[in-house]
Amino acid sequence: MGGLSLGRLAFLALVVAIFAFVIAPLLTIVWVSFFSEKILAFPPTGYTISWYARASEIADFANGFLMSVKVGLCATVASLAIGVPAALAIERFPFPGRETIRQVLLSPMYVPAIVAGAAVYIYFIELEILTTFQLAATFSGLVIAHTLVALPWTLRLVCASLVSANTVSEEAARSLGANALQTFLYVTLPIIRPGMIAAAMFSFIASFSDLEKSLFLVGPGKTTLPIAILNYLEWSLDPTIAAVATVQILIIGTALIVSDRFVKLGKVF
Amino acid sequence: MREGRNWGGSALVLPALVLVAAFLLAPLALILRYSFDKYDPVKLMLGVFSPGNYMLAVADPFYQNVLSTTAYIATLSTVIVMLLAFPVAYYISRVESQRLRGWLIILTMLPLLLGNAVRSAAWMIVMGTKGVANSVMLGVGLIEEPIKILYTPTAVVIALVSVLLPFAIITLQSVMDSIPTSLEEAGQSLGHSPLRTVFGVVLPLAMPGVVAAAAISFALAMNAYATPVLIGGPTIKMMGPAVYDQIAKANNWPFGSTLACILMLATLLLTVLSTRFLSRKYF
Repeated sequence: MGGLSLGRLAFLALVVAIFAFVIAPLLTIVWVSFFSEKILAFPPTGYTISWYARASEIADFANGFLMSVKVGLCATVASLAIGVPAALAIERFPFPGRETIRQVLLSPMYVPAIVAGAAVYIYFIELEILTTFQLAATFSGLVIAHTLVALPWTLRLVCASLVSANTVSEEAARSLGANALQTFLYVTLPIIRPGMIAAAMFSFIASFSDLEKSLFLVGPGKTTLPIAILNYLEWSLDPTIAAVATVQILIIGTALIVSDRFVKLGKVF
Repeated sequence: MREGRNWGGSALVLPALVLVAAFLLAPLALILRYSFDKYDPVKLMLGVFSPGNYMLAVADPFYQNVLSTTAYIATLSTVIVMLLAFPVAYYISRVESQRLRGWLIILTMLPLLLGNAVRSAAWMIVMGTKGVANSVMLGVGLIEEPIKILYTPTAVVIALVSVLLPFAIITLQSVMDSIPTSLEEAGQSLGHSPLRTVFGVVLPLAMPGVVAAAAISFALAMNAYATPVLIGGPTIKMMGPAVYDQIAKANNWPFGSTLACILMLATLLLTVLSTRFLSRKYF
């Protein structure tokens, strides 16, 4: 692309500025979490790490965090358990209508979260009236909704690794007499393992950060971290909430960098 | 792996399919039905079938205002997002170092994955009356006294743009990746300036990606919940919060379902539009 002309410098500056626009607010919130004064003022009078301790003492945040981790883990396991077989069927058994099926399974990503959340909430209530089985404002209800949040990520990443892995070694295993299950366990699974790890990471992240689908489904004592943050923000904005946000940024940032070790995100996207 | 086997293998999609059918498609069908029902303060729903809610949604001045605010904010955000996403996507798709490319993708994805609660909190700190933006502008003497940024439509647009940018960048960049650089080199060797090459060669070829990215951005902006609630405040009414208010607060399921179905329909149209233009993968 040649040397550094003036035009090229301007272009680079523009790109940097746009990244800064997206990233700067996040750096600001990390910075604010260390401010010593409760009332926000810039620049701060001093720094402290005590807000992190404060945040962990607030029951909504501590319980919300635990709830989000538990729901995230269950949703991740569930979405892998149903998503990996589905990906395998779509990529390895070319049955008629599989493109339609793929779109249906990816649809949770396209249906607006607020619409899906509202619909699932009404559906849960009606189901409860019919069967007396409660799902709204329960742990199981949240896990079901979050499994749907996670499923498209699992499907996409596992499908991507199935597509990029060639089928030669699978065919070789089959022709040497391995049955379908053996072929999957000893040949396919090791090949797609990095994709599965990335799928697990993204599924967890998608569940952990979800706000809109959980909005209708949380209940007293059954609140996820993003909802706890939302509720707190409606009343106050202080370093405590910045500390909570920073913890979430750290967790998700780490998960993203770990996934990149297994599946080069630069190649997937 | 021939005929008979395929059917056995295809059974593997069943659990996922059942889950999506039972907990997404069935609920959507249910609210579609309820959107034609009528609200009653005592019985909640009358079990009738009439298009009354849809008439109300387009005829009532309050909801006309909600619809037009939503359309205005979504349009403005989408236009700005496209202007910003194009250069970034172009840069990422043409960067030579794979390492740098990987980091740029992570940097793009991180805000997307953080979720709306954290992102809104960050913007509230930046845009508040005593926030960073005001402090900086006061400090350098750009303004005399703090200006109101938070709780204005401008603030919602700014925050939404940052929400939508990652989606637009990833979508555009995946299309630009498939445009061979040789075409640009050809343009340059003919003596065209880099800028003219981008507008003459890259933009026309990336058009499907531009349409898809714009459709996705518009759909996401229109459906936003946390951003209008936290950054817009109570005076700026958009569709997402209106759905929540009707269903969770007012218990008016029929009308809430109608608003949700209007959003769903608009999103569906945009998705069909974008997938017609974009056959490729991720977003």
